[in-house]
Amino acid sequence: MKLNYSIKLSAEDHIINITCCVIAFIIFFITLYPIYYSFISSISDGQAAMATQIYFLPVKVTLENYKIVFSEKTLYNSYIVNILRTLIGTITGVFFTSMMAYGISRKELKFRKLYSIIAIITMYFGGGLIPYYLVLRYLHLINTFSVYIIPSLINVFNMLLFMSFFRDLPGAIIESAKIDGAGEFTIFRKIVIPLSKPVLATVALFVGVYHWNDWFTSAYFVTNEKLMTLPTILMRLVNSAEAQEKLNKMMLSSAGVNIGSMKTGPTVNSIRHATMLVSIVPIMMVYPFLQKYFVKGIMVGAIKA
Amino acid sequence: MKNFLKSKSNLLSIKRQMPLQAMVLPGIIVLLIFSYLPMFGIIIAFKDFTIAKGFLGSPWVGLKHFISFFTDSTFIMAMKNTVILSLLRLLICFPAPIIFALILNEIPYLRYKKVVQTSSYFPHFIAYVVVAALWSNLLDPRGLVNNFLIGAGLISKPIEFWTDPGKFRILAIIVDIWKEIGWGAIIYIAAIAGINPELYESAKIDGASRIKQIIYITLPSIASTIAIMFILSIGGLFRGNLDQSYLFGNAFNKQTSYIIEYYVLDMGFKTMRYSFATAVNLFQSLISLVLLVFANWLSGRISGNRIF
Repeated sequence: MKLNYSIKLSAEDHIINITCCVIAFIIFFITLYPIYYSFISSISDGQAAMATQIYFLPVKVTLENYKIVFSEKTLYNSYIVNILRTLIGTITGVFFTSMMAYGISRKELKFRKLYSIIAIITMYFGGGLIPYYLVLRYLHLINTFSVYIIPSLINVFNMLLFMSFFRDLPGAIIESAKIDGAGEFTIFRKIVIPLSKPVLATVALFVGVYHWNDWFTSAYFVTNEKLMTLPTILMRLVNSAEAQEKLNKMMLSSAGVNIGSMKTGPTVNSIRHATMLVSIVPIMMVYPFLQKYFVKGIMVGAIKA
Repeated sequence: MKNFLKSKSNLLSIKRQMPLQAMVLPGIIVLLIFSYLPMFGIIIAFKDFTIAKGFLGSPWVGLKHFISFFTDSTFIMAMKNTVILSLLRLLICFPAPIIFALILNEIPYLRYKKVVQTSSYFPHFIAYVVVAALWSNLLDPRGLVNNFLIGAGLISKPIEFWTDPGKFRILAIIVDIWKEIGWGAIIYIAAIAGINPELYESAKIDGASRIKQIIYITLPSIASTIAIMFILSIGGLFRGNLDQSYLFGNAFNKQTSYIIEYYVLDMGFKTMRYSFATAVNLFQSLISLVLLVFANWLSGRISGNRIF
């Protein structure tokens, strides 16, 4: 933008342009290379990748690692649970949060001030982990699928995002709809929601990513393995001591032969990379569509906050 | 008659209120149950709580738990680590996105800038579990980084990155920057985009160099944004990143990686000392609240606008 006005670039301009481009490239490379490395490791033959360190190109390309990941029952199951949790959690979370935000942003609402104070206090103070756990326990939410959904129906930060957006909606449209006899729900559903696509997309992304990535709820509030989510299972595969054993078993059951003596075949490492990729890919797929929205969304939030 | 009319209009307004109230109340109930009930549950910090006796039936013990965690050397270690990690974050992770935003702003090629920017916030959306797996793998004694360094002849023996307590802090900072630099920069990029271009024009006519333009135009223009973000992060000084400490922490680096949140988790779920863990948590929440109020006051003093 500045270039348009300067006829000749000074030496200083050249130096700064080049330096910034180079630094930006280094940041770009460091950001994406670990993910790329994981990708090429996941499609490489495990043994071959262990024999020689790969850097930019996969060796002996194979889908064997992914086959193992998807044939592993616990992992496959957790993937399904994760998808269900993310879908249901995002839809209900966005619905309840946006509805509450709309209600509070209406000036006719009684106790409006009280409601917003109730909401905002929770941003700065909480009961802490153990009392929260005990509440879940008393409500019999421990070890149920609902523990993923119900407590996160409302997110106050997202509610404020919605409110700042709703405040800027043209009030005349809502008024005229009211005169035409439309009820509050109808106005919300037919007028407010369609006008709020950018903020809806932003919040949906935030909520969706939270649900997709959360490992804590599943690790501490769920003990039934059938209800565990992908990150939790992934964590156990990556971090715990038993993981090594489990991964070895997975390999043996799929390969059926003694791994150690073979020159090709998956390794613990290559399976790990495939598992990580399986978790990243859904985010990668929605990312390009949503990224133009969330920059706007976060800016609105930042200005208000 | 007047009264009757009035009560009728009251009734009407209540009837009109109903749909709006119905939209707000489900959310309020969720907050009351999952945020406020736990707040009342804090009383167990002053009791000897057992599940059998319940919230009300358990005996009061006063400040017993507070005294006992203050005399626990593990807690002192956790507190020290939490504060040191937070201060390092404030010192290094806080300015990083600002510098990144400034660098991006100086790039004249829009497409290139856009590509770098868009990809830079991708790691923000990756699960911490995956981030931990990725970096544990890269920095494994037999991982990519060590293999590369050995191959290049820079080291003869693999570096034990994750099991050396002396390296945890710097690695935590590096991973933090990797994950959040792009995301953190968004707000500054937005602030820079809002600067009036005429300022740069007149500066150029006056012969100001690019560096001078950054120092005298760009930086002062985003100073208020920087100040607000800085104040907000003061409120978080007494909190740590549990994901990071939990997923990168191990028996070897515990000395530097163990933080208050992890301590609460261990005390609560490993040893089932519910009251004790709640007391620790309450102490942390209160200190954080004090920090926040202080930051808010500071914000009022400096920029004239408070956060709440």
